[in-house]
Amino acid sequence: MVNRKTAKFLSFRYTILAIIFVVLAGGLVLLPKYEKHEGINPDELLSNSVSPERYISTDELADKIIGQDPSFLLIDVRSEAEFSKYSLPNAINIPLKKLLDEDSIMYLNQTQYDVVLFSNDNFYADQAWILGNRLNFKNLKVLKGGINNWYKTIINPPIPTENMAAQEFDLYAFRKSASMFFGVVYPEQIKVVEKPVVKKVIPKKVIPIKKKKKMPVEGGC
Amino acid sequence: MKELEKTKRISIASVLFILVVLIGLLTYKRPAHMYAINSKTTLENITTDNYLISLEGIENKEYVLVDTRNEFEFQKGHLTNAINIYAPEILNEENASIFNKLQEENKTIVLYSSNPNDVVAPFMVLYQLGYKNLKIAAINNSYTQNELISKNITVEKSVADINAFINESIKKAAQKPKPKPVVKAPPKKVIPIKKKKKMPVEGGC
Repeated sequence: MVNRKTAKFLSFRYTILAIIFVVLAGGLVLLPKYEKHEGINPDELLSNSVSPERYISTDELADKIIGQDPSFLLIDVRSEAEFSKYSLPNAINIPLKKLLDEDSIMYLNQTQYDVVLFSNDNFYADQAWILGNRLNFKNLKVLKGGINNWYKTIINPPIPTENMAAQEFDLYAFRKSASMFFGVVYPEQIKVVEKPVVKKVIPKKVIPIKKKKKMPVEGGC
Repeated sequence: MKELEKTKRISIASVLFILVVLIGLLTYKRPAHMYAINSKTTLENITTDNYLISLEGIENKEYVLVDTRNEFEFQKGHLTNAINIYAPEILNEENASIFNKLQEENKTIVLYSSNPNDVVAPFMVLYQLGYKNLKIAAINNSYTQNELISKNITVEKSVADINAFINESIKKAAQKPKPKPVVKAPPKKVIPIKKKKKMPVEGGC
């Protein structure tokens, strides 16, 4: 009796196995949450985005641009209107909205170049960086302070006062020459060029010689 | 006989296989934090949503202020009714449970720090984890004589028109040399020499 029952059951064994596998496979489909869980671990993302490692200072960047370092790309994440108004030399415009378009990802997801993201401040650039970091894009950097800081330090550097350290003066000299590189003209630049032309005319001194006036004859004896 | 042996082996193997799969499923530990939205949706949302809030807009019963600066800064001075959760620690168990609780109560979480830039990191992480009702307070906090001063600021505002500045500098430089040659010689001082008045001739001897 028992034998017959088990024999009957065993005749279905392959079907049963197949059904179990199908159910298990179906379980995987029912996990839609995992689909959205792309990119690196959230904890890792947090520690990456809290650390200031991604920042590059305006001085470093200016130095790179002047040195014509070919190893980096500048990406402006502001709107097109702002980009056309002013941007850093040779920058590529990818408005934040289009950051994850296929064309843009080509620039971001590669290992050949360092990518420097910037905006007016570093608010939008940071957002772009965090999204990129989640997708594990390497070599992304953010310009600290963005264009505003670029203006304050490189284009229009503050003149150090006399009581500042010598380093400040060196820094100022660097920034000033950098700003000249980016098109700012200082009055003394022109003066230096024209110096040989300017002739100093020494005005002749006119020394009036006083003539002794003859005194009218004042009677005599 | 040989046939039976074969099926036996197959059954044993498949039972073992199923066991392994089951054990795997049962011991699978879900990661503590899961992204609720993917990067593309996040990008779309953060570029269309308005998550910035001004100093005046903060005072709302439904809003909970979260200070993401460190404890020291927080003790020095903070906005009234704010709670302190240091940015690198927002995903701790404790803090995550605070956020979850707020979320359940349907409160809006308003993050702030010394400036909006410092809040971007915690904001973006929480946002992608699916917390709704997240806001950033667009304020600057600084200290003047040990007192916290909060000011509204515009995020990503351009401070200067650089092209205009450069053009201006070129113009200025071009203008300068003109007045230069006009060296004003100090005007000669004319000292009037007083002539001695002649006294009328007073006769002679």
